[in-house]
Amino acid sequence: MTGMPDKNNLPLLKVQNLSKFFGKHIGCYDINFELSPGEVIGVVGESGSGKSTLLNCIAGKTQPTNGAVFFNSSDGYIDLCMSDEAQLRKISRTQTGFVTQNSRDGLRMGISAGGNIGERLMANGMRNYSQIRKIALKWLETVEIDPARIDDLPETFSGGMQQRLQIAANLVTEPKIMLMDEPTSGLDVSVQARLIDVLRKLVSRLNLSMVLVTHDLAVARLMCHRLYVMKNGKIIESGLSDQILDDPRKPYTQLLVSSVLKP
Amino acid sequence: MDWILKLVNIGKEFVFHHQQGTRLVVIENFSMDFSSGETAVLSGPSGSGKSTLLRMIYASYKTEKGHIFIKHHGKQVDVATAAPALIYNIRQDTIGYVSQFLRVVPRVSALDTVIEPLIARNMEENLAMEKGEQMLERLNIPQNLWHLSATTFSGGEQQRINIARGFIAPYPVLLLDEPTASLDAKNRTVVMELIQEAQKQGSCIISIFHDKYDQQMIAGRIIDMSEQLRKEA
Repeated sequence: MTGMPDKNNLPLLKVQNLSKFFGKHIGCYDINFELSPGEVIGVVGESGSGKSTLLNCIAGKTQPTNGAVFFNSSDGYIDLCMSDEAQLRKISRTQTGFVTQNSRDGLRMGISAGGNIGERLMANGMRNYSQIRKIALKWLETVEIDPARIDDLPETFSGGMQQRLQIAANLVTEPKIMLMDEPTSGLDVSVQARLIDVLRKLVSRLNLSMVLVTHDLAVARLMCHRLYVMKNGKIIESGLSDQILDDPRKPYTQLLVSSVLKP
Repeated sequence: MDWILKLVNIGKEFVFHHQQGTRLVVIENFSMDFSSGETAVLSGPSGSGKSTLLRMIYASYKTEKGHIFIKHHGKQVDVATAAPALIYNIRQDTIGYVSQFLRVVPRVSALDTVIEPLIARNMEENLAMEKGEQMLERLNIPQNLWHLSATTFSGGEQQRINIARGFIAPYPVLLLDEPTASLDAKNRTVVMELIQEAQKQGSCIISIFHDKYDQQMIAGRIIDMSEQLRKEA
């Protein structure tokens, strides 16, 4: 990833001492990091390492056992873990986006593609139908879905199209942060390349920040400024993406990097 | 003379945890100053740490011992300890790096790949395109390839895209790791001209060239790295 995260601004997100236990089992443990506006960070590691648990805690979908997630909202820093339902809903509708690995979980399959995009706008009080439709058409174009499909159900879309629709439905309110859980896995490579291209452009055009959970190191290198390597719920190594991938130092990171075909 | 890049007692050791914990000391106690407008060629056999040194300066390898001071936006900063955001900023404005291989991004055209450093510096897109086209023309990339992704280009074409990208924006420090490895004589000459032009504009150019003829064409100073030969600790 090229381009410079905006270091003059305050961090958009501050994750402090975040831990999540499921009974005796560690989900994630003592996680600390900051995310700047326009910065993309990647969380890599094997399945079961706690990547998704961490992302779910940040997104407010899972209540952490300990710690705080401070988000620099339009009203100043607020702790997402201590916020009430209404406050969280407002933030998740306007300032954050969440893209799940399985797009069916992030979409409403019973309403049209345009409806999926328009829903977030309507939830924010927009009522002008023709304006909503115009914006939805624009976003379909941005994620390279044929605008003629606006009235079709997501059910009739391919997996790659559903994933792009999910991204469009999240980006329509121009959030500051996108939280993404394996957004490109399970897609064929040409679709993956297209999605990466779309996301990279959005990052530079909208100064979007992202936390990207992925096990694909090639995607991590292309997309992320910094990487965090997780194992057994803990961050074991972090740094510039190329430093982690070209000069891994921890035994587990070396194993991870040497196990794939040239990332 | 005033330095632009100052290496102080740097050392680099690799530990391979999954290969019996083998430790390789590649660079040990290395110090050197470089100034603006100079060309230096790192020489020495394979394994003497030439590429490692360039990667440490560019921070794609972590420097755990010593300091790599560079003048960035008029201030002295240490690459070895700089925060990631500062490293990105240094790479945008101060240190350029051209390796042998282009890391191709699928679906991004050759021209867009080349002008990316200019766009990052907020140059107006039309002007950047114009400069990019001139550079591609100079490096003899046929016009019908400009708007295609470099994914399918030949090795030599990809290398020229990489060179075009590396020289399109001026950098106070430019690191070249065998940029001409798979080029024909005509394109080698173009690269030599680009190096000389960058030097005249005040860039400090640190390079690795295996070809003795290329070495003589541009050096400057020859830095013998053979004493750094890889030792097992």
